[in-house]
Amino acid sequence: MPKVLVLVPFPMTPQERGNREAQRHLVKLSPDTQLEFRSVKAAPRTYVSHHDYIIADIGIFEAGLQAQKEGYDCVCIDTMSDSGMNALRSVLDIPVIGPGRASMLTALMLGDRFSIVAMWPHWAGLYKKTLYELNLQEKCASVRWPEGLVPDNRNLLGGKEDVVLPKLYETAMRCVEEDGAEVICLGSTTMHQAHAYLQERLPVPIINPGPLSYKMAETVVALKLAQSRKAYPSPMVPKEDMLHIMLDAAASAEAGKPLEKLG
Amino acid sequence: MADKKRALVIVPFALDAAGVANRKAQTKAVKLGPDIDFDFRPVTAGPTSFMSHHDVALMEMGIFEAAMDAEKEGYDAVVIDTMSDSGMGPLRSMLKIPVIGPGRASMFFALTLGSKFTVLAQWEPSIPRIKRAIQEYGLAAHVPSIEHFDTPPDFANLLDGKEDKVFPKMKAACERAIDKGAEVICMGSTTMHQAAAYLADNLPVPVINPGPLSYKLVELLLGLNLSHSKKTYPAPLAPKPEMVRAMMKAAAATEKK
Repeated sequence: MPKVLVLVPFPMTPQERGNREAQRHLVKLSPDTQLEFRSVKAAPRTYVSHHDYIIADIGIFEAGLQAQKEGYDCVCIDTMSDSGMNALRSVLDIPVIGPGRASMLTALMLGDRFSIVAMWPHWAGLYKKTLYELNLQEKCASVRWPEGLVPDNRNLLGGKEDVVLPKLYETAMRCVEEDGAEVICLGSTTMHQAHAYLQERLPVPIINPGPLSYKMAETVVALKLAQSRKAYPSPMVPKEDMLHIMLDAAASAEAGKPLEKLG
Repeated sequence: MADKKRALVIVPFALDAAGVANRKAQTKAVKLGPDIDFDFRPVTAGPTSFMSHHDVALMEMGIFEAAMDAEKEGYDAVVIDTMSDSGMGPLRSMLKIPVIGPGRASMFFALTLGSKFTVLAQWEPSIPRIKRAIQEYGLAAHVPSIEHFDTPPDFANLLDGKEDKVFPKMKAACERAIDKGAEVICMGSTTMHQAAAYLADNLPVPVINPGPLSYKLVELLLGLNLSHSKKTYPAPLAPKPEMVRAMMKAAAATEKK
Protein backbone atom coordinates (compact mmCIF):
# COMPACT_ATOMS: atom_id res chain seq x y z
CA MET A 1 0.00 0.00 0.00
CA PRO A 2 2.35 2.71 -1.20
CA LYS A 3 1.90 6.13 0.35
CA VAL A 4 3.65 8.59 -1.93
CA LEU A 5 4.65 12.16 -1.16
CA VAL A 6 4.65 14.35 -4.28
CA LEU A 7 6.72 17.48 -3.82
CA VAL A 8 5.35 20.49 -5.70
CA PRO A 9 8.20 22.89 -6.46
CA PHE A 10 6.35 26.17 -5.82
CA PRO A 11 4.35 27.60 -2.91
CA MET A 12 0.78 27.66 -4.22
CA THR A 13 -2.84 28.36 -3.57
CA PRO A 14 -4.96 25.21 -3.20
CA GLN A 15 -6.48 25.91 -6.63
CA GLU A 16 -3.08 26.15 -8.28
CA ARG A 17 -1.97 22.97 -6.58
CA GLY A 18 -5.16 21.37 -7.89
CA ASN A 19 -3.84 21.94 -11.41
CA ARG A 20 -0.80 19.90 -10.43
CA GLU A 21 -2.82 17.20 -8.67
CA ALA A 22 -4.97 16.70 -11.77
CA GLN A 23 -2.05 14.68 -13.19
CA ARG A 24 -3.10 11.71 -11.06
CA HIS A 25 -6.15 11.20 -13.29
CA LEU A 26 -3.98 10.74 -16.39
CA VAL A 27 -2.75 7.32 -15.32
CA LYS A 28 -4.27 4.12 -14.01
CA LEU A 29 -2.90 3.66 -10.50
CA SER A 30 -3.32 0.72 -8.18
CA PRO A 31 -6.39 1.27 -5.96
CA ASP A 32 -4.27 1.27 -2.80
CA THR A 33 -1.74 3.88 -3.97
CA GLN A 34 -2.10 7.14 -2.06
CA LEU A 35 -0.63 10.36 -3.45
CA GLU A 36 -0.25 13.39 -1.22
CA PHE A 37 0.88 16.67 -2.76
CA ARG A 38 2.96 19.10 -0.73
CA SER A 39 4.35 22.49 -1.76
CA VAL A 40 7.81 23.71 -0.87
CA LYS A 41 8.01 26.60 1.60
CA ALA A 42 9.95 28.87 -0.75
CA ALA A 43 11.07 28.66 -4.36
CA PRO A 44 12.57 30.56 -7.26
CA ARG A 45 9.99 32.39 -9.39
CA THR A 46 10.88 30.18 -12.35
CA TYR A 47 13.61 27.73 -13.45
CA VAL A 48 15.81 29.50 -15.98
CA SER A 49 19.19 30.11 -14.32
CA HIS A 50 21.63 28.52 -11.92
CA HIS A 51 20.39 31.04 -9.35
CA ASP A 52 16.98 29.41 -9.67
CA TYR A 53 18.33 25.85 -9.66
CA ILE A 54 20.08 26.21 -6.32
CA ILE A 55 17.02 27.69 -4.61
CA ALA A 56 14.86 24.95 -6.12
CA ASP A 57 17.25 22.25 -4.91
CA ILE A 58 17.28 23.43 -1.32
CA GLY A 59 13.51 24.06 -1.17
CA ILE A 60 12.63 20.58 -2.43
CA PHE A 61 15.33 19.00 -0.27
CA GLU A 62 13.81 20.56 2.84
CA ALA A 63 10.21 19.74 1.89
CA GLY A 64 10.96 16.00 1.61
CA LEU A 65 13.52 15.70 4.38
CA GLN A 66 11.17 14.08 6.92
CA ALA A 67 9.20 11.96 4.43
CA GLN A 68 10.47 8.65 5.75
CA LYS A 69 9.76 9.53 9.41
CA GLU A 70 6.33 10.76 8.36
CA GLY A 71 5.53 7.26 7.11
CA TYR A 72 5.75 7.72 3.35
CA ASP A 73 6.95 4.81 1.20
CA CYS A 74 8.28 6.92 -1.66
CA VAL A 75 8.88 10.53 -2.72
CA CYS A 76 8.17 11.88 -6.21
CA ILE A 77 9.48 15.27 -7.28
CA ASP A 78 7.01 17.17 -9.46
CA THR A 79 9.56 18.78 -11.76
CA MET A 80 11.52 17.53 -14.77
CA SER A 81 14.58 19.27 -13.34
CA ASP A 82 14.81 16.56 -10.66
CA SER A 83 15.70 19.41 -8.30
CA GLY A 84 16.55 18.19 -4.82
CA MET A 85 16.60 14.54 -5.91
CA ASN A 86 20.26 13.84 -5.26
CA ALA A 87 20.20 15.46 -1.81
CA LEU A 88 17.01 13.65 -0.78
CA ARG A 89 18.39 10.34 -2.01
CA SER A 90 21.41 10.85 0.25
CA VAL A 91 19.29 11.14 3.41
CA LEU A 92 16.28 8.89 2.71
CA ASP A 93 16.18 5.10 2.47
CA ILE A 94 12.77 5.21 0.77
CA PRO A 95 12.98 5.64 -3.01
CA VAL A 96 13.05 9.17 -4.43
CA ILE A 97 11.86 9.50 -8.03
CA GLY A 98 12.89 12.35 -10.32
CA PRO A 99 10.69 12.53 -13.43
CA GLY A 100 13.53 13.87 -15.61
CA ARG A 101 15.74 10.87 -15.07
CA ALA A 102 12.77 8.47 -15.11
CA SER A 103 11.42 9.92 -18.40
CA MET A 104 14.68 9.68 -20.27
CA LEU A 105 15.39 6.12 -19.11
CA THR A 106 11.84 4.94 -19.79
CA ALA A 107 12.05 6.51 -23.26
CA LEU A 108 15.14 4.35 -23.86
CA MET A 109 13.22 1.20 -22.93
CA LEU A 110 10.87 2.03 -25.83
CA GLY A 111 13.24 3.39 -28.48
CA ASP A 112 16.88 4.31 -29.14
CA ARG A 113 16.72 8.12 -29.29
CA PHE A 114 14.41 10.64 -27.71
CA SER A 115 13.73 14.36 -27.98
CA ILE A 116 12.49 16.72 -25.32
CA VAL A 117 9.73 19.20 -26.14
CA ALA A 118 9.86 22.25 -23.87
CA MET A 119 7.72 25.36 -23.57
CA TRP A 120 10.58 27.82 -24.07
CA PRO A 121 14.36 27.92 -24.56
CA HIS A 122 15.16 28.74 -20.95
CA TRP A 123 14.61 25.15 -19.79
CA ALA A 124 17.38 23.64 -21.97
CA GLY A 125 19.95 23.83 -19.15
CA LEU A 126 17.83 21.58 -16.92
CA TYR A 127 17.81 18.74 -19.42
CA LYS A 128 21.50 19.14 -20.11
CA LYS A 129 22.22 18.66 -16.41
CA THR A 130 20.36 15.33 -16.25
CA LEU A 131 21.73 14.10 -19.58
CA TYR A 132 25.29 14.75 -18.42
CA GLU A 133 24.64 13.16 -15.03
CA LEU A 134 23.27 10.09 -16.79
CA ASN A 135 26.07 10.17 -19.37
CA LEU A 136 23.50 9.60 -22.12
CA GLN A 137 24.02 12.77 -24.17
CA GLU A 138 24.19 10.92 -27.47
CA LYS A 139 20.77 9.34 -26.87
CA CYS A 140 19.06 12.73 -26.99
CA ALA A 141 18.17 13.62 -30.59
CA SER A 142 17.19 17.22 -29.76
CA VAL A 143 15.57 19.66 -27.38
CA ARG A 144 13.02 21.91 -29.09
CA TRP A 145 10.42 24.48 -28.11
CA PRO A 146 7.82 26.55 -29.96
CA GLU A 147 8.49 30.23 -30.55
CA GLY A 148 6.79 32.85 -28.47
CA LEU A 149 5.41 30.97 -25.45
CA VAL A 150 5.83 31.91 -21.79
CA PRO A 151 5.02 29.00 -19.46
CA ASP A 152 2.75 29.58 -16.47
CA ASN A 153 3.83 27.27 -13.63
CA ARG A 154 0.64 28.00 -11.62
CA ASN A 155 -2.23 27.95 -14.13
CA LEU A 156 -0.35 25.71 -16.59
CA LEU A 157 -2.07 25.74 -19.99
CA GLY A 158 -5.37 26.99 -18.51
CA GLY A 159 -7.27 28.88 -21.23
CA LYS A 160 -4.42 28.88 -23.74
CA GLU A 161 -4.87 25.38 -25.16
CA ASP A 162 -6.02 26.48 -28.64
CA VAL A 163 -2.78 28.34 -29.21
CA VAL A 164 -0.36 26.12 -27.32
CA LEU A 165 -1.39 22.59 -28.34
CA PRO A 166 -0.95 22.95 -32.13
CA LYS A 167 2.40 24.64 -31.58
CA LEU A 168 3.62 21.81 -29.36
CA TYR A 169 2.45 19.27 -31.93
CA GLU A 170 4.34 21.04 -34.71
CA THR A 171 7.46 21.16 -32.52
CA ALA A 172 7.25 17.45 -31.63
CA MET A 173 6.82 16.53 -35.31
CA ARG A 174 9.99 18.43 -36.18
CA CYS A 175 11.79 16.37 -33.52
CA VAL A 176 10.55 13.18 -35.18
CA GLU A 177 10.98 14.15 -38.82
CA GLU A 178 14.07 16.35 -38.77
CA ASP A 179 16.00 15.13 -35.71
CA GLY A 180 15.19 11.41 -35.74
CA ALA A 181 13.42 11.23 -32.38
CA GLU A 182 11.87 7.82 -31.77
CA VAL A 183 10.26 8.81 -28.47
CA ILE A 184 9.20 12.25 -27.17
CA CYS A 185 9.53 13.37 -23.56
CA LEU A 186 7.40 16.28 -22.39
CA GLY A 187 9.82 18.82 -20.98
CA SER A 188 7.85 19.69 -17.86
CA THR A 189 5.28 18.21 -15.52
CA THR A 190 3.41 21.50 -16.06
CA MET A 191 2.73 20.36 -19.64
CA HIS A 192 0.60 17.37 -18.61
CA GLN A 193 -2.54 18.94 -20.05
CA ALA A 194 -0.98 18.64 -23.52
CA HIS A 195 -0.24 14.94 -23.26
CA ALA A 196 -3.53 13.46 -24.44
CA TYR A 197 -3.69 15.82 -27.44
CA LEU A 198 -0.16 14.93 -28.50
CA GLN A 199 -0.49 11.20 -27.84
CA GLU A 200 -3.48 11.00 -30.19
CA ARG A 201 -1.58 12.70 -33.00
CA LEU A 202 2.09 11.72 -32.80
CA PRO A 203 3.52 8.65 -34.55
CA VAL A 204 5.83 7.90 -31.60
CA PRO A 205 5.34 7.29 -27.86
CA ILE A 206 5.19 10.43 -25.72
CA ILE A 207 6.13 10.34 -22.05
CA ASN A 208 4.11 12.30 -19.51
CA PRO A 209 6.66 12.81 -16.71
CA GLY A 210 4.41 13.33 -13.66
CA PRO A 211 2.13 10.30 -14.19
CA LEU A 212 5.19 8.24 -15.11
CA SER A 213 6.78 9.10 -11.78
CA TYR A 214 3.72 7.79 -9.90
CA LYS A 215 3.88 4.46 -11.75
CA MET A 216 7.62 4.34 -11.11
CA ALA A 217 6.85 4.82 -7.42
CA GLU A 218 4.48 1.83 -7.47
CA THR A 219 7.10 -0.21 -9.33
CA VAL A 220 10.05 0.43 -7.02
CA VAL A 221 7.97 0.02 -3.86
CA ALA A 222 6.52 -3.32 -5.07
CA LEU A 223 10.02 -4.54 -5.98
CA LYS A 224 11.42 -3.30 -2.64
CA LEU A 225 14.03 -1.23 -4.49
CA ALA A 226 15.50 2.19 -3.78
CA GLN A 227 18.44 4.31 -4.86
CA SER A 228 21.90 2.81 -4.37
CA ARG A 229 23.80 3.97 -1.30
CA LYS A 230 26.98 3.60 -3.35
CA ALA A 231 25.67 6.27 -5.72
CA TYR A 232 24.18 8.47 -2.98
CA PRO A 233 26.25 8.10 0.21
CA SER A 234 24.74 9.30 3.51
CA PRO A 235 26.10 12.47 5.14
CA MET A 236 28.37 12.00 8.15
CA VAL A 237 26.76 14.94 9.93
CA PRO A 238 23.16 15.61 8.87
CA LYS A 239 21.96 19.20 9.43
CA GLU A 240 18.20 18.79 9.37
CA ASP A 241 17.45 21.61 11.79
CA MET A 242 19.60 24.01 9.84
CA LEU A 243 17.71 23.20 6.64
CA HIS A 244 14.29 23.71 8.23
CA ILE A 245 15.38 27.04 9.75
CA MET A 246 16.77 28.19 6.41
CA LEU A 247 13.52 27.50 4.58
CA ASP A 248 11.37 29.09 7.28
CA ALA A 249 13.55 32.19 6.94
CA ALA A 250 13.18 32.07 3.15
CA ALA A 251 9.40 31.83 3.43
CA SER A 252 9.31 34.80 5.84
CA ALA A 253 11.44 36.86 3.47
CA GLU A 254 8.94 36.20 0.68
CA ALA A 255 5.75 36.56 2.74
CA GLY A 256 3.23 39.02 1.29
CA LYS A 257 5.24 39.69 -1.87
CA PRO A 258 3.23 39.58 -5.11
CA LEU A 259 4.22 37.11 -7.79
CA GLU A 260 6.81 38.70 -10.10
CA LYS A 261 5.77 39.19 -13.75
CA LEU A 262 7.60 37.13 -16.39
CA GLY A 263 8.21 37.96 -20.05
CA MET B 1 -14.19 -7.51 -14.88
CA ALA B 2 -14.44 -5.84 -18.25
CA ASP B 3 -11.08 -4.11 -18.24
CA LYS B 4 -9.05 -7.09 -17.04
CA LYS B 5 -5.79 -7.17 -19.01
CA ARG B 6 -3.79 -10.19 -20.17
CA ALA B 7 -0.04 -10.47 -20.57
CA LEU B 8 1.75 -13.31 -22.34
CA VAL B 9 5.10 -14.41 -20.91
CA ILE B 10 7.24 -16.39 -23.33
CA VAL B 11 9.48 -19.04 -21.76
CA PRO B 12 12.49 -19.38 -24.07
CA PHE B 13 12.93 -23.16 -23.83
CA ALA B 14 10.53 -25.91 -24.89
CA LEU B 15 9.92 -26.93 -21.25
CA ASP B 16 7.32 -29.29 -19.83
CA ALA B 17 4.64 -28.17 -17.37
CA ALA B 18 6.92 -28.54 -14.32
CA GLY B 19 9.67 -26.46 -15.94
CA VAL B 20 7.17 -23.75 -16.87
CA ALA B 21 5.83 -23.78 -13.29
CA ASN B 22 9.35 -23.06 -11.97
CA ARG B 23 9.44 -20.05 -14.25
CA LYS B 24 5.97 -18.91 -13.24
CA ALA B 25 6.99 -18.91 -9.56
CA GLN B 26 8.65 -15.55 -10.31
CA THR B 27 5.26 -13.86 -10.31
CA LYS B 28 5.02 -14.53 -6.55
CA ALA B 29 8.18 -12.50 -5.88
CA VAL B 30 6.37 -9.21 -6.39
CA LYS B 31 3.02 -7.73 -5.47
CA LEU B 32 1.10 -7.43 -8.70
CA GLY B 33 -2.07 -5.47 -9.26
CA PRO B 34 -5.34 -7.40 -9.55
CA ASP B 35 -6.08 -6.24 -13.09
CA ILE B 36 -3.58 -8.21 -15.14
CA ASP B 37 -3.33 -11.97 -15.70
CA PHE B 38 -0.01 -13.48 -16.72
CA ASP B 39 -0.08 -16.55 -18.97
CA PHE B 40 3.19 -18.46 -19.43
CA ARG B 41 3.87 -20.17 -22.75
CA PRO B 42 6.99 -22.13 -23.72
CA VAL B 43 8.39 -21.84 -27.23
CA THR B 44 7.43 -24.54 -29.76
CA ALA B 45 11.08 -25.48 -30.20
CA GLY B 46 14.38 -23.97 -29.27
CA PRO B 47 17.97 -24.59 -28.31
CA THR B 48 18.90 -26.90 -25.41
CA SER B 49 21.76 -24.78 -24.10
CA PHE B 50 22.31 -21.05 -24.28
CA MET B 51 25.96 -20.25 -24.75
CA SER B 52 26.69 -19.87 -28.44
CA HIS B 53 25.44 -17.86 -31.39
CA HIS B 54 23.87 -21.07 -32.67
CA ASP B 55 21.67 -21.08 -29.57
CA VAL B 56 20.86 -17.38 -29.82
CA ALA B 57 19.66 -17.73 -33.43
CA LEU B 58 17.29 -20.59 -32.55
CA MET B 59 16.01 -18.85 -29.44
CA GLU B 60 15.26 -15.62 -31.35
CA MET B 61 13.19 -17.50 -33.90
CA GLY B 62 11.41 -19.61 -31.24
CA ILE B 63 10.38 -16.59 -29.17
CA PHE B 64 9.39 -14.62 -32.25
CA GLU B 65 7.06 -17.38 -33.37
CA ALA B 66 5.60 -18.02 -29.92
CA ALA B 67 4.28 -14.46 -29.48
CA MET B 68 3.83 -13.31 -33.07
CA ASP B 69 0.04 -13.55 -32.82
CA ALA B 70 -0.27 -12.27 -29.25
CA GLU B 71 -2.21 -9.21 -30.29
CA LYS B 72 -4.73 -11.22 -32.35
CA GLU B 73 -5.09 -13.62 -29.44
CA GLY B 74 -6.29 -10.71 -27.32
CA TYR B 75 -3.19 -10.09 -25.22
CA ASP B 76 -2.38 -6.58 -24.04
CA ALA B 77 1.36 -7.07 -23.52
CA VAL B 78 4.18 -9.57 -24.09
CA VAL B 79 7.07 -10.32 -21.75
CA ILE B 80 10.12 -12.27 -22.85
CA ASP B 81 11.39 -14.40 -19.99
CA THR B 82 15.07 -14.07 -20.80
CA MET B 83 17.64 -11.36 -20.11
CA SER B 84 18.98 -11.85 -23.63
CA ASP B 85 15.85 -10.07 -24.95
CA SER B 86 15.87 -12.68 -27.73
CA GLY B 87 13.07 -12.05 -30.19
CA MET B 88 12.24 -8.62 -28.76
CA GLY B 89 13.17 -6.65 -31.87
CA PRO B 90 11.21 -8.87 -34.31
CA LEU B 91 8.19 -8.94 -31.98
CA ARG B 92 8.24 -5.18 -31.53
CA SER B 93 8.27 -4.82 -35.31
CA MET B 94 5.12 -6.94 -35.65
CA LEU B 95 3.13 -5.93 -32.55
CA LYS B 96 1.68 -2.64 -31.38
CA ILE B 97 1.15 -3.89 -27.81
CA PRO B 98 4.17 -3.41 -25.53
CA VAL B 99 6.85 -6.11 -25.73
CA ILE B 100 9.15 -6.09 -22.72
CA GLY B 101 12.63 -7.54 -22.76
CA PRO B 102 14.00 -7.81 -19.21
CA GLY B 103 17.58 -7.10 -20.36
CA ARG B 104 16.90 -3.72 -21.85
CA ALA B 105 14.44 -2.93 -19.08
CA SER B 106 16.81 -3.93 -16.23
CA MET B 107 19.74 -1.93 -17.52
CA PHE B 108 17.86 1.33 -18.04
CA PHE B 109 15.92 0.77 -14.82
CA ALA B 110 19.21 0.28 -12.95
CA LEU B 111 20.23 3.78 -14.03
CA THR B 112 17.18 5.24 -12.29
CA LEU B 113 18.75 4.00 -9.01
CA GLY B 114 22.47 4.64 -9.54
CA SER B 115 24.91 5.71 -12.23
CA LYS B 116 26.95 2.49 -12.67
CA PHE B 117 25.66 -1.06 -12.77
CA THR B 118 26.76 -4.58 -13.50
CA VAL B 119 25.06 -7.61 -14.97
CA LEU B 120 25.80 -10.77 -12.99
CA ALA B 121 26.83 -13.56 -15.37
CA GLN B 122 26.08 -17.21 -14.71
CA TRP B 123 29.40 -18.51 -16.05
CA GLU B 124 32.10 -17.43 -18.45
CA PRO B 125 30.26 -18.42 -21.67
CA SER B 126 27.47 -15.94 -20.78
CA ILE B 127 29.81 -12.95 -20.78
CA PRO B 128 30.08 -12.26 -24.54
CA ARG B 129 26.29 -12.18 -24.87
CA ILE B 130 25.94 -9.76 -21.96
CA LYS B 131 28.70 -7.53 -23.34
CA ARG B 132 27.01 -7.45 -26.72
CA ALA B 133 23.70 -6.36 -25.21
CA ILE B 134 25.41 -3.60 -23.21
CA GLN B 135 27.10 -2.37 -26.40
CA GLU B 136 23.85 -2.52 -28.36
CA TYR B 137 22.10 -0.35 -25.80
CA GLY B 138 25.04 2.07 -25.76
CA LEU B 139 25.79 1.58 -22.06
CA ALA B 140 29.41 0.35 -22.05
CA ALA B 141 30.54 3.42 -20.11
CA HIS B 142 28.05 2.60 -17.34
CA VAL B 143 29.35 -0.91 -16.60
CA PRO B 144 32.69 -1.04 -14.73
CA SER B 145 32.98 -4.84 -14.91
CA ILE B 146 31.09 -8.06 -15.52
CA GLU B 147 31.65 -10.90 -13.06
CA HIS B 148 30.45 -14.51 -13.19
CA PHE B 149 29.89 -17.20 -10.56
CA ASP B 150 31.18 -20.14 -12.55
CA THR B 151 28.11 -22.40 -12.40
CA PRO B 152 26.53 -24.00 -15.48
CA PRO B 153 22.87 -22.98 -15.82
CA ASP B 154 19.98 -25.43 -15.38
CA PHE B 155 17.07 -23.97 -17.33
CA ALA B 156 14.37 -26.29 -15.94
CA ASN B 157 15.35 -26.79 -12.28
CA LEU B 158 17.06 -23.40 -11.96
CA LEU B 159 18.90 -23.23 -8.65
CA ASP B 160 16.80 -25.86 -6.83
CA GLY B 161 18.89 -27.89 -4.39
CA LYS B 162 22.00 -25.87 -5.16
CA GLU B 163 21.27 -22.88 -2.90
CA ASP B 164 23.89 -23.53 -0.20
CA LYS B 165 26.65 -23.95 -2.69
CA VAL B 166 25.68 -21.39 -5.31
CA PHE B 167 24.19 -18.41 -3.42
CA PRO B 168 27.48 -17.52 -1.66
CA LYS B 169 29.32 -17.71 -5.00
CA MET B 170 26.76 -15.33 -6.50
CA LYS B 171 27.23 -12.95 -3.59
CA ALA B 172 31.02 -13.05 -3.96
CA ALA B 173 30.77 -12.25 -7.69
CA CYS B 174 28.49 -9.27 -6.90
CA GLU B 175 30.97 -8.06 -4.28
CA ARG B 176 33.78 -8.12 -6.85
CA ALA B 177 31.61 -5.98 -9.15
CA ILE B 178 30.82 -3.53 -6.32
CA ASP B 179 34.54 -3.23 -5.52
CA LYS B 180 35.09 -2.23 -9.14
CA GLY B 181 32.40 0.48 -8.97
CA ALA B 182 29.00 -1.12 -9.59
CA GLU B 183 26.25 0.74 -7.72
CA VAL B 184 23.37 -1.49 -8.83
CA ILE B 185 23.31 -5.23 -9.64
CA CYS B 186 21.22 -6.63 -12.47
CA MET B 187 20.82 -10.36 -12.22
CA GLY B 188 22.00 -11.72 -15.56
CA SER B 189 19.22 -14.23 -16.06
CA THR B 190 15.58 -14.64 -15.12
CA THR B 191 16.59 -18.18 -14.08
CA MET B 192 18.42 -16.68 -11.08
CA HIS B 193 15.21 -15.39 -9.52
CA GLN B 194 15.35 -17.80 -6.58
CA ALA B 195 18.50 -16.02 -5.35
CA ALA B 196 17.04 -12.51 -5.52
CA ALA B 197 15.90 -12.24 -1.90
CA TYR B 198 19.19 -13.67 -0.58
CA LEU B 199 21.26 -11.24 -2.62
CA ALA B 200 19.08 -8.25 -1.74
CA ASP B 201 19.47 -9.10 1.96
CA ASN B 202 23.22 -9.61 1.80
CA LEU B 203 24.47 -6.86 -0.51
CA PRO B 204 24.80 -3.09 0.12
CA VAL B 205 23.30 -2.09 -3.26
CA PRO B 206 19.95 -2.61 -5.02
CA VAL B 207 19.52 -5.94 -6.81
CA ILE B 208 17.24 -6.03 -9.83
CA ASN B 209 15.28 -9.23 -10.34
CA PRO B 210 14.52 -9.05 -14.06
CA GLY B 211 11.39 -11.22 -14.28
CA PRO B 212 9.39 -9.44 -11.55
CA LEU B 213 10.62 -6.07 -12.86
CA SER B 214 9.26 -6.91 -16.29
CA TYR B 215 5.84 -7.79 -14.83
CA LYS B 216 5.68 -4.46 -13.00
CA LEU B 217 6.69 -2.69 -16.20
CA VAL B 218 3.68 -4.27 -17.91
CA GLU B 219 1.53 -2.50 -15.33
CA LEU B 220 3.50 0.71 -15.78
CA LEU B 221 3.26 0.80 -19.57
CA LEU B 222 -0.40 -0.26 -19.71
CA GLY B 223 -1.26 2.24 -16.96
CA LEU B 224 0.34 5.02 -19.00
CA ASN B 225 -0.93 3.78 -22.36
CA LEU B 226 2.64 3.52 -23.68
CA SER B 227 4.34 1.10 -26.04
CA HIS B 228 7.62 0.85 -27.99
CA SER B 229 8.31 3.30 -30.80
CA LYS B 230 7.42 2.25 -34.31
CA LYS B 231 10.21 4.55 -35.51
CA THR B 232 12.70 2.26 -33.75
CA TYR B 233 10.93 -0.94 -34.77
CA PRO B 234 9.30 -0.35 -38.17
CA ALA B 235 6.75 -2.90 -39.39
CA PRO B 236 7.81 -5.26 -42.20
CA LEU B 237 6.57 -4.47 -45.71
CA ALA B 238 5.88 -8.15 -46.39
CA PRO B 239 5.22 -10.13 -43.21
CA LYS B 240 5.81 -13.89 -43.42
CA PRO B 241 3.97 -15.34 -40.43
CA GLU B 242 3.10 -18.61 -42.19
CA MET B 243 6.74 -19.21 -43.04
CA VAL B 244 7.81 -18.59 -39.47
CA ARG B 245 5.10 -20.89 -38.09
CA ALA B 246 5.98 -23.65 -40.57
CA MET B 247 9.63 -23.50 -39.55
CA MET B 248 8.91 -23.87 -35.85
CA LYS B 249 6.38 -26.65 -36.43
CA ALA B 250 8.98 -28.50 -38.46
CA ALA B 251 11.58 -27.85 -35.77
CA ALA B 252 9.33 -29.30 -33.06
CA ALA B 253 8.60 -32.39 -35.19
CA THR B 254 12.34 -32.99 -35.65
CA GLU B 255 12.94 -32.81 -31.91
CA LYS B 256 10.28 -35.48 -31.19
CA LYS B 257 12.03 -38.06 -33.37
